[in-house]
Amino acid sequence: MASKHLAAAFRRTSRLRTLSTASTAAAHPLPSAEAYDDGDGISMKGVKIAGRPLYLDMQATSPLDPRVLDAMLPYNLSRYGNPHSRTHLYGWESDAAVEAARAQVAALINASPKEIVFTSGATEANNISVKGVMNFYKDKKRHIITTQTEHKCVLDSCRHLQQQGFDVTYLPVGPDGLVDLDQLRSTVRSDTGLVSVMMVNNEIGVIQPMEEIGKICKEFNVPLHTDAAQALGKIPIDVEKMNVSLMSLSGHKIYGPKGVGALYMRRRPRIRVEPQMNGGGQERGIRSGTVPTPLVVGMGAACELAMREMEYDERWINKLQERLLSGITARLDGVVVNGSTERRYVGNLNLSFAYVEGESLLMGLKEVAVSSGSACTSASLEPSYVLRALGVDEDMAHTSIRFGIGRFTTEAEIDRAIELTVNQVEKLREMSPLYEMVKEGIDIKSIQWAQH
Amino acid sequence: MASAVPPPRRSEVLSLFRSLLRTAREFADYNIREYTKRRTIDAFRQNRDLSDPSAVSAAFSDGKSQLEVARRQAIVYSLYAPKVKSVMEIKH
Repeated sequence: MASKHLAAAFRRTSRLRTLSTASTAAAHPLPSAEAYDDGDGISMKGVKIAGRPLYLDMQATSPLDPRVLDAMLPYNLSRYGNPHSRTHLYGWESDAAVEAARAQVAALINASPKEIVFTSGATEANNISVKGVMNFYKDKKRHIITTQTEHKCVLDSCRHLQQQGFDVTYLPVGPDGLVDLDQLRSTVRSDTGLVSVMMVNNEIGVIQPMEEIGKICKEFNVPLHTDAAQALGKIPIDVEKMNVSLMSLSGHKIYGPKGVGALYMRRRPRIRVEPQMNGGGQERGIRSGTVPTPLVVGMGAACELAMREMEYDERWINKLQERLLSGITARLDGVVVNGSTERRYVGNLNLSFAYVEGESLLMGLKEVAVSSGSACTSASLEPSYVLRALGVDEDMAHTSIRFGIGRFTTEAEIDRAIELTVNQVEKLREMSPLYEMVKEGIDIKSIQWAQH
Repeated sequence: MASAVPPPRRSEVLSLFRSLLRTAREFADYNIREYTKRRTIDAFRQNRDLSDPSAVSAAFSDGKSQLEVARRQAIVYSLYAPKVKSVMEIKH
């Protein structure tokens, strides 16, 4: 019976669609003056392409899974109540949905729902963890340990604390991107208040040895915080096994909505934080502000999906990553994978192409949506600090491309990406005098460049 | 309660399979369309050898609810389909 309604609705909407676009265009002109996509292709920022690029930037963000959107829509349409309204059905149903989503998020990391606080994203959760913990324990604890490859929000929070007078140690990483456990052990002091190490790096995809780090932290009784934004739903996470006290989670990296995240805060032993958002005391006083029911429901649905699909997705993404890497290395030499090849998340492939300039490579890859090594860091053309921490040479850091593979990526897209990348690299190398010299056998590093 | 529902007949399972694939074809988005096709085929293949009747019923009703979600979302996605398609759908 419902299906007949749906079928009829579908027939109606195909007719409606042609009507609605014409009228809405006239009634509500878009704020940006020209439409950038007409029937003919896309023209934006001086670039013309025939269609929407194929998306290989899953670490930046991921598309919404239709099943997540389906869970969210009712809370945007009729069930729009504020979950903190205690006196009517709208509040009660909204609150029930938030609590159900809380349980879904908790189940994915083997935590209790009482340990999950919803935030506006992993950045906010990182801020609460780093600044909140240190400010709460500031009388006794003055030292933080973190790594050089952390996300900007963690590094920036640490810098902010440094200005307030705390000591911060930024642990270096090896050329494979992994933290040295002995170095960590020797850096812990009696007044260390927090160790913060991200589980999966967003630029190079390296997975840190969280269980071993957790053991060291337990030994010294130091709380461990981890930014698991890139790890959630992709690798198995168990807060008990990893002995994690605080964990930052993000919704939009696991096919959920943007603008929502969560903070896991251990209850046994209890970790306390100073709230960064003051107000009506929502979320146990840790994060005041109305909890956005549609977003939170979306994140819960995304987490439940991730739990069911983790194994299947990993098999698929692994297959695609192998195809991508072997496809490129079969036709090109001078390709380097940045970061450990054993301890890495399969959906993140960060490659450097020797003798090619990164910006010009990206400009030729307009039909593939990828990110380069320096994109996340700033508007300047400085190579990424993560690659620099790995010890990658400047010229190789400049040519790094990050391919992000996800649940919805197809084999055909991988093949097309290989085709486009190989063609562009070959074209650029053809034009490169450095490459000519390398082919003749000259060692580039031994060249004495003339000063003009 | 599970024992009250008889397990689906072979024809019902096949009909569900075909409906899911038909709905997959209706998605305006290239990636979602391909994923739905692939996921349907792999899920039915994986559950092909289930013998326990309650497991079969559970899988079948899960499939039916997924079909409802897919039908709704196919409509929503088509309402907001961008005018320009993915490069993967344009003749190379």
